[in-house]
Amino acid sequence: METVRLRVNRAERSITLEPRRTLLDALRTDLGLTGAKKACDMGNCGACTVHLEGKAVYACLVLAIDCAGREVTTIEGLENDALQRAFVEADAFQCGFCTPGQIMSLKALFNETPSPNEAQIMRALSGNLCRCGAYRNIVRAARIAARSPSAA
Amino acid sequence: MRAFSYHAPSTLSDAFAFLDARTRPLAGGTDLLTLMKADLVAPERLVNVKALLPRGIAAGTDGLTIGALTTLEEIEKDAAVAKRYAALAKAAAVAASPQLRNMATIGGNLLQRPRCWYFRNPRLDCWLKGGEHCPARDGENRLHAVFGPGPCHAVHPSDLAPALAAFDAQVLLRSPRGERALPLEIFFTLPSAGRRTENVLAPDELIVSLRLPPTPEGTKSVYLKAMDRKQWAFALVAVAAVLQLEGRRVVHAHIVLGGVATIPWRAASAERALVGGDLSAATLERAAAAALEEALPLAHNAYKLPLARALVRRALESLAP
Amino acid sequence: MKRDAELGAVGKPHPRLEGPDKVSGRARYACDLRLPRQLYARVLRCPLPHARLSRIDTSRAEGLRAVHAVLSSANAPEVPWYDTSRLFDRELRFVGEEVAAVAAESEEIAEDALRLIAVDYEPLPVEEKAGKPDVRQRGDIAAGFREAQVVIEETYTTQTALHNCLEPHGCTAVWEGDALTLYESTQGIFAVREEIAAKLGLSEERVRVVTEHMGGGFGSKQIAWKHSVIAALLARQSGRAVQLVLERDAENLAVGNRNATRQHLRLGAKRDGTLTAIEVSARVEQGAYLAGGEASDVTGTYLTLYRCPNVRAEQIQVSTHRGPAAAFRAPGYAEANFALESAMDELARKLGMDPIELRLRNYAEVDQDQRKPYTSVDSLRKCYQQIRGHFQKSAKKYGIGFAAHDWAAGAGHPPAEARVEMANGGARLVIGAQDIGTGTRTALAQIAAEELKLPLEKIIVSIGDTRDAPYGPTSAGSSTLASLAPAVRAAAQAAKAGREGLGKRAPNPKHKSVRTCGAQCAEVEVDSETGEVTVLRIVAAHDCGRIVNPLLVDSQISGGVTQALGFALTEERIVDAASGVVLNANLEEYKLPTAGDVPQITHASLSLPDDEANAAGIKGVGEPPLIPTAAAIANAVFDATGIRVRELPISREKLIR
Repeated sequence: METVRLRVNRAERSITLEPRRTLLDALRTDLGLTGAKKACDMGNCGACTVHLEGKAVYACLVLAIDCAGREVTTIEGLENDALQRAFVEADAFQCGFCTPGQIMSLKALFNETPSPNEAQIMRALSGNLCRCGAYRNIVRAARIAARSPSAA
Repeated sequence: MRAFSYHAPSTLSDAFAFLDARTRPLAGGTDLLTLMKADLVAPERLVNVKALLPRGIAAGTDGLTIGALTTLEEIEKDAAVAKRYAALAKAAAVAASPQLRNMATIGGNLLQRPRCWYFRNPRLDCWLKGGEHCPARDGENRLHAVFGPGPCHAVHPSDLAPALAAFDAQVLLRSPRGERALPLEIFFTLPSAGRRTENVLAPDELIVSLRLPPTPEGTKSVYLKAMDRKQWAFALVAVAAVLQLEGRRVVHAHIVLGGVATIPWRAASAERALVGGDLSAATLERAAAAALEEALPLAHNAYKLPLARALVRRALESLAP
Repeated sequence: MKRDAELGAVGKPHPRLEGPDKVSGRARYACDLRLPRQLYARVLRCPLPHARLSRIDTSRAEGLRAVHAVLSSANAPEVPWYDTSRLFDRELRFVGEEVAAVAAESEEIAEDALRLIAVDYEPLPVEEKAGKPDVRQRGDIAAGFREAQVVIEETYTTQTALHNCLEPHGCTAVWEGDALTLYESTQGIFAVREEIAAKLGLSEERVRVVTEHMGGGFGSKQIAWKHSVIAALLARQSGRAVQLVLERDAENLAVGNRNATRQHLRLGAKRDGTLTAIEVSARVEQGAYLAGGEASDVTGTYLTLYRCPNVRAEQIQVSTHRGPAAAFRAPGYAEANFALESAMDELARKLGMDPIELRLRNYAEVDQDQRKPYTSVDSLRKCYQQIRGHFQKSAKKYGIGFAAHDWAAGAGHPPAEARVEMANGGARLVIGAQDIGTGTRTALAQIAAEELKLPLEKIIVSIGDTRDAPYGPTSAGSSTLASLAPAVRAAAQAAKAGREGLGKRAPNPKHKSVRTCGAQCAEVEVDSETGEVTVLRIVAAHDCGRIVNPLLVDSQISGGVTQALGFALTEERIVDAASGVVLNANLEEYKLPTAGDVPQITHASLSLPDDEANAAGIKGVGEPPLIPTAAAIANAVFDATGIRVRELPISREKLIR
């Protein structure tokens, strides 16, 4: 077991864990941050998308121990974000299981490009599956957020 | 995953001290972790090399140097790559997904193991894993190779490798014994009984960087990829084509196919059909047909032949002035 | 009910009540529970398609300090499962069948423990077994074909599809004394309570099932699966809460799939398009066991969708050494519709007739199976009309295709109950059902708000917990809203009148049949050289009775069509014949549609309150949008290329020329 100091959602968190613990499991189990979901655990679905140093990544394919000193942002780190409001307005989810991952992928885009165009939105979403097929409204939500005055 | 110890040494020579049969280097980890989760590899130690190898793209008059730790996203977005090595930028852009492109390094991308569903299933024996025969040969092989004698029929999954090969890239390797530079076409060699991998990297060797020669004036390139859905899939067939034109005359052609063989596959006959000629429709048809001359389809993947022929022709058409 | 234009809450596109929880990560799914000292479980699965377990030794797994319970056929109680088997059978009948389970302090250690379990298997022969045909018929089929001037005879096949809900099956089980609580990912909290109580020999009152949110079911979570009993037994053995969530490959092996079918079909018609005979023989692959839940009725639509006096439909279940099939969004109907609507398209072409004209020529106003007239008898015609306006090609090289559908369920039925408690200027609505992502929570709140004349914000909904809740039906068959909305209306009316706010769903009309139906058209572009199909546009018109919340209905239409794209174009379970192993039991090679695969989807919306059907005039819309899409696409592909693909999925190799 090793002790790792992570920065998660702008707070210092210290965890004791095995090197084999993924960032996803560390978030969900050691830190109680269950927003990121384990749907495939192999980097094939996007439900575990979080930000690592501002970049969207699959937390299931990152070792927690490899994140020492690196900034991690999860869905719980967003607060009343324009994207979250747009998702509710546009009905951009059904079962909601993929939703945190979808929002984090879009948030990474919006952080870099505050008013993305359609192609950029589609590209940002290309690594997130939705089995309920809510894609149309997810894109709609992104468009709404892109137009909003405080789009970030 | 099985348990392992984790090491993050601060120098490369310290890292080399770790590298042995029971140790794996960790860079982006996007292929390594999936192999470990499937229990296909079970290293006792991981050595983090992310701080120890070059990262970044340096462009100059003598070409391009790409550090092994450069991510696919960095390659996709690089201005010099987009300007002079368009096929490489395109290959990086259509590989995987944004999240994977953020994490995956070019070194790891070249070294990734095949996706073959027999290989990736720890419960199934296969030649590449040290077994006697290839279950894909007479089994479910719609995704498998149409070139190469076997015994392995898996295809190489990398998008970047065909593009890099088409630009005559060299890979710089380092081990405790020193450095060596290999053309990618040598680096990727079909597996053999004694070496059941897709490349000649030694167990204690690391990729340091890639070197691409400068592209002369009049060079154009393209990367086309066919998938089972619109995005986020490995190639059924892919084509990287680099042409150097003087007017309409082809002075140089380098065409490499992905998704069709266990290593990136050079379409040398297609190149020969092109060089010295113009890009007339008849020439392109001939070149595309020549690309498939030595194809040996399996029971379920014959569709890859007309698909590849179409993609080769379209790739060349897109480069015609 | 009032005229819909006068309604306050019903008919409004209100955002989902649980939206803020879902977009913030606060929404808790069964796998998100973190109870004190909770353990994590994993299941060991059989690697062979048919085998006898001759020896199992779990001692090394038990020896791990962090392992607190181990179960196998060596020590588990004999719990009957499926029709002929048990929880841990010693004869194993598919790759992935459950052999043993462990509960440990972490998932990683649970996996370590599985590797320490030693099992000897004796391989047994792998065979298919066809059952006896189940035949439904009317009229005189031979005479019908004699009368026919044109006959279409073809065989259509549909593939095994895998649900791949993003949230895997799983639960967290915790005992308090002899009372069990299961935080479960299920479509039926009362169904699970009943089954688990029976399996464990408990009275139902001692079992509580909670599904606050769940991450998709699509039919695969309609019944209780083994993981619930396994988790409960591990929890009992260890004295701790146990969470058992399936890994993705286990999802694709052991907890349901859409039956593959082979349908040999004959249509006979007069030259003016009038159908004289419909005959089908359907072989339906069942897997190794009958899992229960909604049976896949492939023959149903053949009997009802078109007016025809002479019909013979037979279904043969074939048992195989593969994972058990389970209901998957419109089970039987999605598969049959592809065949029937492709055949109708082939017939239309042979007759030189407009495809919509052909459907109208054979319009059924009466349920020919139940022998009752339909309520909303014209609704399907209206759906055809809605499509007609969109059914024209926009450019020559594109193809356009049409398909109609009906659906067996969607009418809802008793038993279904609701309770309304007035309090603090508002009301509490208690529902013993679950919101599986369809928006049940919100739609029922709208019904209550409408009836009570309260703003929606004043309605608190308690849903997804069997404790203290009236009976709620399983969310399946697209019947949740149609079943519960009338009960909610009744409960609200009672509460408003100062009586006890209990409402029960009344029976369906005795002398009429309720039809859920619709039509779609698809426009596609096909690249004949590469076989790539691009669906440009789907237009969908479905009769779901009164639309309570257009936002939610739009989402079901969009979602169903998107899921259908996978069925039509990209999804197929691939099994290696030699080993019986599923080769693509993962989300890499089992290809779900991505955002980039989705066409323009137009919902040609119709709110057609069917007040004869039930007190809320509602019918289901969960499954219908998935039913006609594959046929519409296949028919469009034919229109574009002249290639008739009679096998799903429509993959490139079937189109490359």
